[in-house]
Amino acid sequence: MRLSWLWRKREKELEKEIQHHLRMAEEEREERGASSHEARAGARREFGNVGLVKEVTRDTWGWRWLENLYEDLRYGFRALGKNKGFAAIAILTLALGIGANTAIFSLIDAVLLRAIPVRDASQLVVAQWRAHKEPNNHNTMGYGDCEDVHENSLRGYCSFSEPFYKEIRAQEGVFSSLAAFAGGDRLDLSENGAASTVEGAEYVSGNYFETLGVQPALGRLITSGDDSPTATAVAVLSYNYWRSRFGGAPSVVGKNILLNKIPFTIIGVAEPRFDSLSPGNALQMWIPLSALPQLNQLNQPWDNREVDPLSWWLVLVGRLQPGTPRAQAQAAVSTIFHNAMTSGAKPIFKTEDDPAITLTPVEQGLTGNRTESSTPLYVLMLAVGIVLLIACANVAGLMLARATSRQKEMAVRFALGASRGRILRQLLTESLMLSLAGGALGILFASWCDVSIVTFLNSGDNGSPLFSPSIDSRVLFFTAVVSILTGVLFGLAPALRGLRVDLTPALKEGAGSSSQTVRARKVRMNPGNSLVVAQVALSIVVLAGAGLLVRTLQNLKNLDPGFDTRNILTFSLNPTLIGYKSADTDNMYGELRSRLSAIPGVVSVSYSWTALLGGGRWSTSFHLHGNRKEEESNSDVLPVGPDFFQTMRIPLLAGREFSALDFATAQTIAAAEAAERAAAAAKLKPGVKPAASQAQTADLPARPAIVNQAFARKYFPKGNVIGQRFGKEAANPETGEDKNPGWEIVGVVADARYDKLRREVKPTTYVPNCGGSVAFALRTQTDPEKFVPRIRAMVSQLDSNLPVYNIRTESQQIDRQILKERLIARLSGFFGMLALLLACIGLYGLISYEVARRTREIGIRTALGAGKREVLRLVLSQGMRLTLVGTVVGLGLALGLTQYTKNLLFGVKAADPVTYVAVTLLLVGVTLAASYVPARRATRVDPVVALRHE
Amino acid sequence: MSERYKNRVELLQGTLDLLILQTLMWGPQHGYGVSQAIRANSGDLLQVDAGSLYPALHRLEKQKWIGADWKISENNQEVKVYRLTAAGRKQLMKERSRWEQISDAIGGVLNPAKKESAS
Repeated sequence: MRLSWLWRKREKELEKEIQHHLRMAEEEREERGASSHEARAGARREFGNVGLVKEVTRDTWGWRWLENLYEDLRYGFRALGKNKGFAAIAILTLALGIGANTAIFSLIDAVLLRAIPVRDASQLVVAQWRAHKEPNNHNTMGYGDCEDVHENSLRGYCSFSEPFYKEIRAQEGVFSSLAAFAGGDRLDLSENGAASTVEGAEYVSGNYFETLGVQPALGRLITSGDDSPTATAVAVLSYNYWRSRFGGAPSVVGKNILLNKIPFTIIGVAEPRFDSLSPGNALQMWIPLSALPQLNQLNQPWDNREVDPLSWWLVLVGRLQPGTPRAQAQAAVSTIFHNAMTSGAKPIFKTEDDPAITLTPVEQGLTGNRTESSTPLYVLMLAVGIVLLIACANVAGLMLARATSRQKEMAVRFALGASRGRILRQLLTESLMLSLAGGALGILFASWCDVSIVTFLNSGDNGSPLFSPSIDSRVLFFTAVVSILTGVLFGLAPALRGLRVDLTPALKEGAGSSSQTVRARKVRMNPGNSLVVAQVALSIVVLAGAGLLVRTLQNLKNLDPGFDTRNILTFSLNPTLIGYKSADTDNMYGELRSRLSAIPGVVSVSYSWTALLGGGRWSTSFHLHGNRKEEESNSDVLPVGPDFFQTMRIPLLAGREFSALDFATAQTIAAAEAAERAAAAAKLKPGVKPAASQAQTADLPARPAIVNQAFARKYFPKGNVIGQRFGKEAANPETGEDKNPGWEIVGVVADARYDKLRREVKPTTYVPNCGGSVAFALRTQTDPEKFVPRIRAMVSQLDSNLPVYNIRTESQQIDRQILKERLIARLSGFFGMLALLLACIGLYGLISYEVARRTREIGIRTALGAGKREVLRLVLSQGMRLTLVGTVVGLGLALGLTQYTKNLLFGVKAADPVTYVAVTLLLVGVTLAASYVPARRATRVDPVVALRHE
Repeated sequence: MSERYKNRVELLQGTLDLLILQTLMWGPQHGYGVSQAIRANSGDLLQVDAGSLYPALHRLEKQKWIGADWKISENNQEVKVYRLTAAGRKQLMKERSRWEQISDAIGGVLNPAKKESAS
């Protein structure tokens, strides 16, 4: 150490200087005739206290604090080294506490705190609309970029129509630029004949990257020139996708790829830190908005969305003009919005719906996955915070016990003239050494936790991870601050106690002597006891929270989704991505179904628009006959293939399943509707004359539908459901009338969960599936995963260009759905056990210490005839008293704090008595065991040895 | 215990610095030499104790008003010898004139007729 070398050199020089002074004074006295002995004594006397002179001289060096620190550190090392067991336990305890906090903080950092990686984000705003009613448009579509407002009388979101985007963009003086985006979608990618899928492709306006201020890592990004119908179709890759899919090869720029069979050219790679504007929504690719119509991506009602003012799907992000306040920009945009919404032949909103638009800074407006993840993360942070408090209490207890044994040492230091401040500093240095060592070890523990969490999140799923926690500088800073605070927190109380030393008895008598013990028992044990009570109480809080979350997970796992989830394999196909038309698709599905059914061990095969519990959902509003025109009813809709209910084992309660005829009918209607939509689209597009003849959908037969019990109960409470008819998706926007003849109910099935386990079963309509992408479902006799290779082979036999994705068993599907709950339950359970363990160590330590201290007393009691039982009871009762007080306090605290977990719970109340009783029993049992060990030791005290001990 | 020294250092501070700087004006000197010179030149009236002298020397050294060199004495001992630096010389002039002002002022107040000669 350079510094100590320099220090020692100056020290030596000072010593030499003083020695020289003394020698000179001596010599002079000798010259004057004094004896050498007298001369030396005289010189010394004149000089004064050498040590003190040195000290005051050193003070002028201005290194005093450094010197003290160095001394304290050296001393601390020595003191801790003398008691390695104590140091090891303290550091390990702190490492667990601090590490758990670091790990959860790194998650919070990754999900909630990481800044949006754009230039000058404060100038970027996102537009959001609010109104008292759903817009009267064709559809509102979103990818979860912002909060979906759906309160009693308030609706709101952040997607707008493309014509509206163009209207605002044309407005001068509001934004310096206004960009639009939508995504990420799944696209089919093929390159040199190899088929795969892009999981997150976003469609962006040409000025998107320029508006955000994002730079390319390679090549160039999309510019306004690329966003034009006549431009070559181009694509920009995300840095991570470029690395994983293209191996990070620079030659990727200029490469030609096929997206949904349409040729695209890769022009560049975005900078590494930018993977999405919305947090936790990592994208893989960006393509210009103008390329979207060619992609054939969303064939259904969206095919003319670039010109349809009733199709809301674009998120608008603008950079304010320098000097334009947000309020001013908002006022300007509001006027346009209000006019656009309430004017026209058929206004989207009525004036009384109070449609409004707000411009919110992107960091607040674009929440992405933040809102959803923040509650569990804060709950976990609370849990680990409490664990750290327990760890602090634990180490403070150890330090207290140690302070007692160090009383003599402290007394000596006082007697030698050390000031109180100096000793306090020394003791705090020791605790800071412990906490910083704990912090350093905690970082290792945290990075292990992070790796496990990421592994857990990615297990069994090939999608891109939502977030990637890592130990960055902010996390390190957090850990350092937490370590220091921890050190002060657990070190201060024992240190202050260490100062309260009565010199004389402490010096005179050894530790454990009777007079001191009596005094000690009155004064010293109080903080020790309260620390153990605090640990027990805090453990109860963490354990109760963990218990509730574990019960939630169990409830979800045991939930009957209404269909048999065992031995079901699902996989998704999207032939429209590679150009299949509706009729071909249906034929292909039929063919595949019959081939798959022929595999031995496959019981039955069907498909649906999306896999059950896959997370996707389609809901619609329809008109119920007999209701007023404006009154709309809602239903979830799931298009299904043949034998769906039989395959999923959803009981048919009345009527019949769909027949081949039903599917044929549905196809006819779908074809007619497609023609109608094409005509409507043509009307909207300028320069194209509307087709003269339109298919008359009103002449078509009713579409067959099967409804669930919830539907029947809600809309046909009088029974007699079969044969009933109800209106189609929506009232006709042109005339306000029903699209007759709508749906006719041919069967009723039992209730089954649709998209999510946690969402209760809503009225649901099952309709025959026509074309489009589907999720196949195979019911097998044995482990369904064994069938995966056969399925892949069969699909590629049918069409080698057709990618198979999302291959999952239904139980994996469920696991994936409750991934968050599983993670939270697992983490909180882990932290609960950690809390319990720490509290037990604390109690064990305290009781052991007590037993050791009361050896003499126990010896006397035994000598006076106390039996083993009495001694056992004596010791155990102390432990139990503390546990019970702690438990009562803890239950009170837990009842208050678990309220924060309310949103995370399922099927269990925050004040669930079962959880509380279980947690109490667990804690009492474990703490009983922890105090039993030292109590046993007490019973083995030999009175003779104990009494001679002194 | 250290309080005692601190008070004395404070009392003497400005003056002691002046005395040290003045002593070194006559040539480089080690710590003991400085104390002896002050003593001799004050007619044994001013005795600077080590607890004031060494902190003052080290402080002046830190302020770069005096420099220090290590020399070997006749009996082969390493000796730290202090010397006045250019900055120290300037400081000495400043302190001297300040001292003279104060001395004159106090003298004038006490007795305009009588003159004290302590230096």
